[in-house]
Amino acid sequence: MAVSFVLVGLLGDRLKKLEHGGWVAVGFAGAAMVVAVLVVAAEMLHPSHYSDQSFTWLQLPGSPGAFPNGFSLVIGVLVDPISALMLLVVTVVGFLVMLYSIGYMHADRGLPRYYAELSLFLTAMTGLVVSDNLLEFFLFWELVGVCSYFLIGFYYEKPSAASAAKEAFLVTRVGDVLFLLGIFIYFTIDATAGGGLGWAASGFKFVNGSTPFLAGAMGGSSTLQTVAGLMMLAGAAGKSAQFPLHTWLPDAMEGPTTVSALIHAATMVAAGVYLLVVASLFLGFTPDDRLAIVAVGGFTTFFAATMAVVHPDIKRVIAYSTISQLGYMVLAVGAGFAMVGMYHLFTHAFFKALLFLAAGSVIHAVGTQDLFKMGGLRRPMRVTAAAFAIGALSLSGIPPFAGFFSKDDVLSSVYTAAQSHPAYWPFLILAYATVFLTAYYIFRAFFLAFSGDKTRDPTLPHPHEAPWVMRLPLYILSGLAIVAGVFPFVPSFASLLSIGANGNVPPVFGTTDLILSALSVGLGAAGILLAQALWGNGRVYVLAPESALQPVRTILLNRYYMKAGYDELGLRLVYGGSRIADFFERYVIDGTIRGIERLAARLSGTLRQGQTGLVSDYASYVVAGVVGLLILLLFVAPFVLASVGGP
Amino acid sequence: MTELSVASLLFLSATLLAIGLFGILTRRNFILLLIAVEIGMNAAILNFVYFAGFSGTSHGLSGQAIAVVLVGLAATEVAVGLAIVLALNRQRGSINIGDATTLKL
Repeated sequence: MAVSFVLVGLLGDRLKKLEHGGWVAVGFAGAAMVVAVLVVAAEMLHPSHYSDQSFTWLQLPGSPGAFPNGFSLVIGVLVDPISALMLLVVTVVGFLVMLYSIGYMHADRGLPRYYAELSLFLTAMTGLVVSDNLLEFFLFWELVGVCSYFLIGFYYEKPSAASAAKEAFLVTRVGDVLFLLGIFIYFTIDATAGGGLGWAASGFKFVNGSTPFLAGAMGGSSTLQTVAGLMMLAGAAGKSAQFPLHTWLPDAMEGPTTVSALIHAATMVAAGVYLLVVASLFLGFTPDDRLAIVAVGGFTTFFAATMAVVHPDIKRVIAYSTISQLGYMVLAVGAGFAMVGMYHLFTHAFFKALLFLAAGSVIHAVGTQDLFKMGGLRRPMRVTAAAFAIGALSLSGIPPFAGFFSKDDVLSSVYTAAQSHPAYWPFLILAYATVFLTAYYIFRAFFLAFSGDKTRDPTLPHPHEAPWVMRLPLYILSGLAIVAGVFPFVPSFASLLSIGANGNVPPVFGTTDLILSALSVGLGAAGILLAQALWGNGRVYVLAPESALQPVRTILLNRYYMKAGYDELGLRLVYGGSRIADFFERYVIDGTIRGIERLAARLSGTLRQGQTGLVSDYASYVVAGVVGLLILLLFVAPFVLASVGGP
Repeated sequence: MTELSVASLLFLSATLLAIGLFGILTRRNFILLLIAVEIGMNAAILNFVYFAGFSGTSHGLSGQAIAVVLVGLAATEVAVGLAIVLALNRQRGSINIGDATTLKL
């Protein structure tokens, strides 16, 4: 499809920056968005249409062994319903965040760097979305990872930002390495699968013409396939900050809020979920894999939400909520409803970006991220407060906001899956508990920031409403956060979410159990009411020091000590490893070299003694040599010749 | 004239060579060293003469001729050796080869 080539071309061009470059970046992001909308429109007109253009850049002949028909590496563009949907999310949020940045980042230094990195990120992300094979996917996957690293460390003078960037890079790297191993396992075990000359010979592509390449060929339950599936999960867990690789995401909030909104909420972290969706549609998971995915997703959902409950930093509360919501998506994919995961990804991108941008607007106005210093911001910042409230309601799953539909879908799909897989039940319960926690923590943040009469910290600057470039994205995202949930009710849009055998949009509201929906709405409403009771009207709920909940709060504030544990582990591991390496270097390698050196020195010292300069000594060497030769010739040689049977 | 056995003649040569070698290895006086070299060399010359005598054909003459050439060679060798002795004596004031150790670094 020529359109997508144009898209990639545009994105590549965009890297050449003008001096400030902000508007240039916005312009190109807008162009990309228009193209993405066209792509989506085209996909909607031709349901379930796959379009694949690829170029082979390396082709190797076959050899007996793993790749009997050889293999080729290709780079290509695949436009299918899910990539079109992702493209839409990435470019729309990307464009709005870029626009917002014009206002938000106005006073910062290093703007060309900022816009260049943001543009590079968008390029990489669109590339990832339209990749038509796993290797290309991995390439862009790493590229978005490095952009994330750059942007978290945007304020690199700040030690905490630099270390957060490093942490993000290292933690995701753990997942990436496993992901790469998983790719290799898939490559070897499925080299000849998929008909024709096989998967390897055709470049490990996701699709063959218009049919998924490995549909049916995969999905068995051999151990290697399970392992490969788990590796995919590990990769996704690294990128999407799932337990136990979640520690980097809250720290990633050291970057500019815009970056948090675009990369660490709406798009890049969703790449992990996208990977799982793609893998589940095109590669297939074994039942064991699915259980592991459900477990990781379900546990993370609850685990992250608990940490959000106590955190004082507005951005980190939203960050934990991102981890938690990503957990829902992973849960849905694991339950076998990949497209439900995509649906939640789609709505989440909008309301989470909205929340972040609203939070950014607050931070821009008052200059702090500490919720306990804010308060009473509703009156001076009406638009922001309304936007945050819409985002929060959507996140809490209150109808008719977008989050309600997708979250309800996730819950009901897991419920459906749990009917036949009893092992899923605990995670479904955790997911329901999270609905309550989610509503509570996000409204706690809302009331702390906006309710009351005045700011709690009088030293804060007088708050003011954001400029129009920041308000416009808020308006648009608010609109999307309200209506995005009903998009799938439009049949042609729903076709974007129906791909593969088990991927139909599962029961949207009304067709499943009303009781389930009522339960989730009820839990959400209860959470909001509790938050209102404890924190509403500018109240600050202080936990009594002797309360039994105090130790729980400490553990939560310290993030279950996992980060400290990782630090310790890293320290031990790296120091221990270094010490072994040091020992090896010093004693084994250096020792060997020094030994050889000393041996040579001693030997030459000994031999030197022979060089007396005395003619008679040399003469005696000659005589000894002749005598030795004679002995050799007369006595040894005949004996040797006789023993080898020579003449 | 009684025929001498090959063995006894070779024994003579071997003895001469051994005496020469012993002299070469033990003497420090350059002139004595030269004399020892000559003695050792004579063992080789004698060998040529014996075997020339034993061979019945006219080829034997070539062995005698080589013996004569070798005598000449020995004389030239002594001439060169004595020249070295003179040079050594003039340079170091001694003809003890123990003093001439400049080959050693």
